[in-house]
Amino acid sequence: MKRTLPLILLMIFGGFGILPFFIPHPKIQNIDSFLRNDLLLILYAFALVLGLGSLLHVHVNKIKHRGQNWQYSWILIVTFIVCSIIGLFGGVSGTGPLPTRIGNFPFDIQTIYLRVEVPLGSTMFALLAFFMASAAYRAFRARSTEATLLLTAAFFVMIGILPLGDKISHHLPSFAQWIMDLPLVAGQRGIIFGIALGALATELKIILGIERSWLGGVE
Amino acid sequence: MNFIDRLTTINRKIIYLVLAIVIVIPLIFPSPQKVRVMAPVEKLFNAVDTIHEDKALIINFEYDPQSQPEVEPMGLAVLRHAFKRRIKVLVMSLYVQPLGLAKSALDQVVGEINAESKSNPDSIIYGRDFVFLGWQPGFYIPILGMGESITNVYKTDYYGNKTDTLTLMKQTKNYNNVELLVSLAVSDIPIYWVAYAQNRFGLQVGAGVTAVSAGDFYPYYQSGQFTGLMVGMKGGAEYEELLATRLNIHKRRKAGETLSSITFAHLTIILLIVIGNVGFFIKRRKR
Repeated sequence: MKRTLPLILLMIFGGFGILPFFIPHPKIQNIDSFLRNDLLLILYAFALVLGLGSLLHVHVNKIKHRGQNWQYSWILIVTFIVCSIIGLFGGVSGTGPLPTRIGNFPFDIQTIYLRVEVPLGSTMFALLAFFMASAAYRAFRARSTEATLLLTAAFFVMIGILPLGDKISHHLPSFAQWIMDLPLVAGQRGIIFGIALGALATELKIILGIERSWLGGVE
Repeated sequence: MNFIDRLTTINRKIIYLVLAIVIVIPLIFPSPQKVRVMAPVEKLFNAVDTIHEDKALIINFEYDPQSQPEVEPMGLAVLRHAFKRRIKVLVMSLYVQPLGLAKSALDQVVGEINAESKSNPDSIIYGRDFVFLGWQPGFYIPILGMGESITNVYKTDYYGNKTDTLTLMKQTKNYNNVELLVSLAVSDIPIYWVAYAQNRFGLQVGAGVTAVSAGDFYPYYQSGQFTGLMVGMKGGAEYEELLATRLNIHKRRKAGETLSSITFAHLTIILLIVIGNVGFFIKRRKR
């Protein structure tokens, strides 16, 4: 029963996920609307709470057992609690019952987001350019015909998309666009078809109960 | 260590330093560059430009702080365009993270326009000209639900107002009242709009995406599923160019200003690859 019930539920709800796309009958559409707009939203809300609870649980355990870099878990927990209180009671831009300003120093959730998270996130991502440059220098070698073609195409696109490309030759931006429009799309479309067919086969196997590894445990 | 060895083993700190210099200096002394507008951006611009007055535009902000510098100029440009043309705008996100950035972009553009407006009809008014719907969980659930009823999915807006009391939402029931959706994303969300909103409800979809993910989106543009496509800083700069030349909007061109940095960075990376390959070939020939 522990395995049969989830399988039956999956077959029913998986089926109802597909049917509304093919059957426009009002009854099917109404069931679909109920499942999406009522049932799934509630499930998502629970999943959110479960996810946050799980996150806290992992980090509390890490502190308890002095796991690797456990000190950082304190930062997460303190930030989590402080931001939750400010967000829940301070309102979006400091319009809630909780005061979110001391003199000229605002600390409402939007300010915290713009002044802390945005610079931190941007900084982390900006580092990527440096790693990419270093990795390209070390690893991007014209070892074979395919690698040489890739390298040449990359040069054309990297120069062609910039204003500099247009200054070198009016044909360069068009050629870079052609690379993006044709060879890239041809390869990418093949990959998309492959992934789509693979996903379809896997989903059918799961819905029909052939693939059961998602249930966990040993067959 | 001989010269050839040095060519293939440049210290990474030197690479980082050179790259930092070529990126930072043009940013300190910005000069927006004129760009040639390519078809994908022009098509998106035209699609926004020709939205009928009784229809709305949905702008889906789906970028996070990591990709803000690259995608935000597109968001600002599309907002400026829509408000200049007095197109009704709905703003929403399918994830929580972009909400703060969407609010920031909205505040900026609405502030700019209202600072120049002289009367109420000239101004951009919340609830009448635009609505910030905010976020709902389950990213494809709102996409499908909005096809039936937008106010049913977003019962309250980002600020907690009941959406069915807002003037704009009384006119905009579902996708039948929306002409175009522009998804500004760092993930593959624009593809989900095609899969769920376009296939099922016939909604036109345009996209603004990061350069690194452009390859995933070109097939959808080429097949016509995307009405138009903006890619990376260049895409944003092209849209800014169109705003300047066709609508006489001369605000700060954030994307255009970064093109010098990107040009020097690309040239540096190309030079590094060439140096690495020269060293590699000489070494291989010696062996």
